[in-house]
Amino acid sequence: MHVAVRQGMALEGLHMRVLVVDESRGRARVLRDALAQAGYEVVVSRAAPLALAGVVARVRPDVIVIDTESPSRDTLEHLAVMGRDLPRPIVMFADDAAPETLRNVMRAGVAAYVVDGLDPARVKSIIEVACARFEEYQGLRNELAAAKSKLAERKVVERAKGLLMKARGVDEGEAYEMLRKLAMDRGKPLAEVAQQVVDLGSLLG
Amino acid sequence: MSEKPDAREPSTDRRSFLKSAGAAAIMSLVPDAVRTAAWAAGSDAPEKKEVKVGFIPLTDCASVVMAAALGIDEKYGIKIVPTKEASWASVRDKLINGDIDAAHVLYGLVYGVQMGVGGPRRDMAVLMTLNNNGQAITLSKKLADKGAVDGASLAALMKKEAREYTFAQTFPTGTHAMWLYYWLAANGVNPMKDIKVITVPPPQMVANMRVGNMDGYCVGEPWNHRAIADGIGITAITTQDIWKDHPEKVLGATAEFVQKYPNTARALTAAVIEAGKWIDASLSNRLKMAETIAAPAYVNTSVDVINQRILGRYQNGLGKTWDDPNHMKFYGDGAVTFPYYSDGMWFLTQHRRWGLMKQDPDYLAVAKQVNQVEIYKQAATAAKASLPKEPMRTSKLVDGVVWDGKDPKKYAGSFAVHA
Repeated sequence: MHVAVRQGMALEGLHMRVLVVDESRGRARVLRDALAQAGYEVVVSRAAPLALAGVVARVRPDVIVIDTESPSRDTLEHLAVMGRDLPRPIVMFADDAAPETLRNVMRAGVAAYVVDGLDPARVKSIIEVACARFEEYQGLRNELAAAKSKLAERKVVERAKGLLMKARGVDEGEAYEMLRKLAMDRGKPLAEVAQQVVDLGSLLG
Repeated sequence: MSEKPDAREPSTDRRSFLKSAGAAAIMSLVPDAVRTAAWAAGSDAPEKKEVKVGFIPLTDCASVVMAAALGIDEKYGIKIVPTKEASWASVRDKLINGDIDAAHVLYGLVYGVQMGVGGPRRDMAVLMTLNNNGQAITLSKKLADKGAVDGASLAALMKKEAREYTFAQTFPTGTHAMWLYYWLAANGVNPMKDIKVITVPPPQMVANMRVGNMDGYCVGEPWNHRAIADGIGITAITTQDIWKDHPEKVLGATAEFVQKYPNTARALTAAVIEAGKWIDASLSNRLKMAETIAAPAYVNTSVDVINQRILGRYQNGLGKTWDDPNHMKFYGDGAVTFPYYSDGMWFLTQHRRWGLMKQDPDYLAVAKQVNQVEIYKQAATAAKASLPKEPMRTSKLVDGVVWDGKDPKKYAGSFAVHA
């Protein structure tokens, strides 16, 4: 593995090169745009372990940002330990000895590999941008998931109402009341009770 | 701190009672339910009932998984929640920040974190060894076709057809890196100079070799057998043939966890020892274990791929088959699970040998700090497991060199091939 004079360059602080390794294309794009806007040079890679060593050698990043749950992290650990001048794992947080900070960063899903000797403040700003974008992206996905499940719940309640109306000869309002009462009596969510009614309905044909 | 557990243990009387073999015999007469109640009622009750234990999809996560699946954990007043992890780096980070309490983890990794090799430094704890043996070195079918089927023929081919050879292992400070390096060096190949080494997550090894740009790898089962089943690789050597009954994965935690929850640590260790005992007890238990851990939630492969080598039925992918008495062991009458100081020190000597550490540490002091022999002994007594007489052991490795833990500094500096 060839080794160039990276540290000197990084210390000059002229610019910092960030490598974003992410299997999620959407999130990588969001992060790339945010970091580029903050004035960093950004390279995005979805590289699998074998190719990753090559990408890191070619790009020679100052900071690597990666999803904490990515299997490719062990490949980066190896590069950090064995490729002397290559990024080191989360140096600043290890030195900061702030487990709380590390925990928050990790819960946001961000792991960072940082070249030794970089200005901690600048690294911090990159990590902060990454955390914010990761969380935002996760938030959007959660919202989407919530919206989808709400829609599904509404559908199931509609179907349960329909079944009750037909079976018991009641109107829509009464059917809804029956479901609501059942849910309250059992201490279960309305959607769950509705699902049971639908399941039972399909059994009874 | 493992030297004086009494300082934080209010119920000294009760513990020393439990420690004696006579007490264990008496306890064995007491029905399980009553005994569980006795454990829970006393001050030995686990401080933390739910214990999250990280694991990587490998055959040797079995005793952790089975301790939970068989409900052995409940017997000791805890609930083990096995948590599947995507990388060893993630296992390490989650141990450090408390997202998981303990983990199925590479022996060398725990010592790497203790010494701060290439990453965060924390005081760590090895509660027990999870298994011996059961890893291997696979060479690509392409290499085998050219005659490289073992160490000597690989070295010969590398001389004859010089190019960049790429070998993979699973973590820079881990066990597979050390087995691979040791074996290559024993065959005159310097892993730091003569080859390119990369790290690849275990479940991705086979797929990466299939792509064709990897010459060999060292990894745990079932991923060596899988390479044979898929027809893309051959087994050049098993790790038990590099070091018979070598230590492999451990039950690791931070020292902080053990200090804060000593009773939980003991209960967890006892439950996993008992699970290991159960696995080693019979052929049918091992088959049941293979069925359990093959599931998508754990190793996620077919039962066949796991159970061949678990039962000691080996093939090398070149037509040779054999029954290996030194297959993966999870208990071995208490010799497997004991956290020998000499085992821990060995990884330090190899880290030193390959330049991961620049200086010699106080080998024995580090091992005594990390390996929780006292807690292990209490747990072994509770699980009615045999205890070895000495906290050190002697082994002869593949190059004929004997390791007994007596002069680690001299041993670390004694190898002709080094970084």
